[in-house]
Amino acid sequence: MNAVNTWNSTQHFWLIILGFCVAFVPRFIPLMLFTKRAIPEWFNEWMKFVPVSLFTALIVKDIFIDSATYQIIFNHFSEMIAAVIVVIIAYRTRSMIISVVTGLLAVFLLSMFIA
Amino acid sequence: MNKRRPNPKQVPDPNEPLWRSTLRVAMPLNLSYIPIGLACGILLHAAGFNTLLTGLVSILIFSGGAQFLIATMLTINSPLLSIVLMLFFLELRYALLSSSLSPYLKGQSNRFLFAFAISLNDENYAINYLKFATDKKWTGKEALMVEHYSLLFWAVSNVIGSLIGSTLKIDLGVVNFALTALFLYMIVMQIKNRLTIAICVLSGVLAALCMMLTKSTLGLVISTIIASLIGFFLETTLRKRLPDSHWLWKLRSPGSKKSTVESESDAD
Repeated sequence: MNAVNTWNSTQHFWLIILGFCVAFVPRFIPLMLFTKRAIPEWFNEWMKFVPVSLFTALIVKDIFIDSATYQIIFNHFSEMIAAVIVVIIAYRTRSMIISVVTGLLAVFLLSMFIA
Repeated sequence: MNKRRPNPKQVPDPNEPLWRSTLRVAMPLNLSYIPIGLACGILLHAAGFNTLLTGLVSILIFSGGAQFLIATMLTINSPLLSIVLMLFFLELRYALLSSSLSPYLKGQSNRFLFAFAISLNDENYAINYLKFATDKKWTGKEALMVEHYSLLFWAVSNVIGSLIGSTLKIDLGVVNFALTALFLYMIVMQIKNRLTIAICVLSGVLAALCMMLTKSTLGLVISTIIASLIGFFLETTLRKRLPDSHWLWKLRSPGSKKSTVESESDAD
């Protein structure tokens, strides 16, 4: 696994403050505006696609991209198989806890047999 | 979920104090926050956050997805700007949630809206939306209390997780897969039609390409914007030109409470 981050607490603190700003504004502004007027339809429609696109991108980064060189890699076989298992479990049970725990167990067991 | 279901007393006791009736509504959520909060605290600790800052981030940002994202991006040494940009795009979806709650919060003071916005997140939104839609007596005050209960459980679980992380040695590689599993779960929960699946594939390919080109996690931001915009234009065009297209067929999945909330929010 890659090296742990070297930031200090002051940098973490600024990250939290900036993170708070970008987390707060999208929650507050629509509440302010739309308790007074109607929501633009296109905005709703666009926002529907943001989470799926973002999460897929993050998963691809975790499984297929080397974090040092940013090249595509195809050697995380245990993660790939575990990911398929998680999707099936999530679809069938719709439980966040069961999906995550099964995924962790799967990747742990698989990594003992394959790379 | 509710273990007291066999109890024939359907109508809640009118003399029950408000703090208890709202706590009862919030309890299933509070309990489910404990394991996730612990995991999040452990991961933040592994990413270098100290316990105090873990508590602070849980209160100020209060979003599982965002905190997991911070942990992942810190372990791969992303630059600050790139993390904040990713957070911005991740949190942008709250605009959708708070917009859909706004009809129920008409006439509230700006101070109330401020407090409400700070502690809003996906899960307490789901509870409050359902309560607002089904219970006429549910007001902003009760909704805010549910938010505060969930915030309390979340922050405490995170802090405990951070303390566990400092006493135990945990294999980062395996724990890191918890994030991947969580994101996979969130995607599965949001897939509504074939178009969404196509956008997932597109977004995955774009993400790989953009990251190879930019040689940084900024590629994630770029691919997210492009993929979501393409999804938006494709859906709008399909709805207009080919409303019967099989790409828009709803996918049925094993029933659950969560999907009820989602389909209700679709209806309006």
